[in-house]
Amino acid sequence: MLSLQHVSFRYENGPYLLQDVSMDVARGNYISIVGENGSGKSTLVRLILGLLQPNSGTITNTFRHCAYVPQRFDTLNRQFPITVQEVMNCQRRVLGLKDRDVIRRSLEQMDVYDLRDQLMGSLSGGQCQKVLIARALMGEPDLLIFDEPSTGIDVKSQLELYPFMRSLNQEQGVTILTVEHNLKFAVKNSTKMFHVVNGHGHFCSPEEYIQEYLSENMGRDSHV
Amino acid sequence: MFEYAFMQNAFIVAILISLVCPLIGMFLVLRRYSMIGDSLAHASLAGVALGLLLDLNPILSAFGLTSFFGLLIEALRQRFRQYAELILVIILSLSVGIAITIISSGVVHANVESFLFGSILTVTRQDVWSVLFLSVVSLAMIVRLYPQLVLLTFDEDGAKIAGVRYRLINYAFAVLVAATISVSIRIVGILVISSLIALPVATALQLQKGFRRTMELSVLFSFLDLMGGLFLSYWIDAAPGGVTALVSVAVLLAVIAGRSLVPARRS
Repeated sequence: MLSLQHVSFRYENGPYLLQDVSMDVARGNYISIVGENGSGKSTLVRLILGLLQPNSGTITNTFRHCAYVPQRFDTLNRQFPITVQEVMNCQRRVLGLKDRDVIRRSLEQMDVYDLRDQLMGSLSGGQCQKVLIARALMGEPDLLIFDEPSTGIDVKSQLELYPFMRSLNQEQGVTILTVEHNLKFAVKNSTKMFHVVNGHGHFCSPEEYIQEYLSENMGRDSHV
Repeated sequence: MFEYAFMQNAFIVAILISLVCPLIGMFLVLRRYSMIGDSLAHASLAGVALGLLLDLNPILSAFGLTSFFGLLIEALRQRFRQYAELILVIILSLSVGIAITIISSGVVHANVESFLFGSILTVTRQDVWSVLFLSVVSLAMIVRLYPQLVLLTFDEDGAKIAGVRYRLINYAFAVLVAATISVSIRIVGILVISSLIALPVATALQLQKGFRRTMELSVLFSFLDLMGGLFLSYWIDAAPGGVTALVSVAVLLAVIAGRSLVPARRS
């Protein structure tokens, strides 16, 4: 169970990016966090991951192992001299996994084992995303957090990625929490949506979110 | 030339620092922390001056004070992230101020110049033991912390989420940098240490290999730079620090030129 209660956050002397946000994520959920750019989605994820500390409110996480797939590889240094195998091996050692074969199994699960000797910087967006997912899967997480997983990857890779995320959730019971801007797949995959608007958030069903999205955007059109 | 004891000492120390400097340099360069190396190199001058003043081994006193300043920089950087560069300037000013005040007051009766430019003649057997001790400790720490350091360098957020104790590792790394600088000042001198830390790594990066292979190549280039620098400085009777820096730049340019020629030949 992951529980946020009345969480607020702002950087020193800055405006509040999140205000009084509460959310509960139960085991087996597939939750898409949606909202416009700058609404506070990524800040929310960074708070959940412990990369930021809330100014007020509490965050409780009782999941055994939480793993993270970052927004996109562009945020990493593409000139960094490291192979896929080295990334996986360092992660394995940091997680304290003795079994070296876990690297092969994770890479094969994502169909990127053949890329193990390639430099990370030489991979396409889709290949890189698969490697980062393989890295996240190595510790057999029960909570997997994605930050805009379809950013920077081609349509073919997206068509492989979302069914895979769905199967992780439905067949392997991995709880998924994902910041999404790909509404088609967010609506299709999610059990619940968490809609963030100007630093405030609320749960809604995929159907309810479509209604909210349409009314927001139709309202904007009428102003134009 | 190896019949002289001072040349034997110099070469033993050179071999050790050609191993340690690029290993630390890999993480400094890739984390874009090169300026910290430069600031701590200048901080080591204050340590040398204090050591000479108090009649202590200057390498160990440099290590002590440089470690202190390294830890202070890390603590201040974590507290005042937005002023990271200003913190480096303050520490650099403080340490150079201490050094110049001690040296210029005339209370130190030793050749400080050899620590600035590097020297083959002044490496003693005691220095060899000090350098050996710090090198072994540094290598052991790098081996022990290797996956944490690589992950923290490649993807800092990912490393924190995976449970890397990044604050502790950053403090340990600050001490490692201090140790590396302290072992290097005898041969290459304070003024060119940062080139010995960064240039072999920059040269190895041109070859676009994986992390471990790049590290091995940077050790190889560092060894070539230092040996070339020592031999040339012996023959032309110049300070090894300056000659080593020139050799490092020449090797870097040669590798860049070689890289640009290879595709041209293929085409």
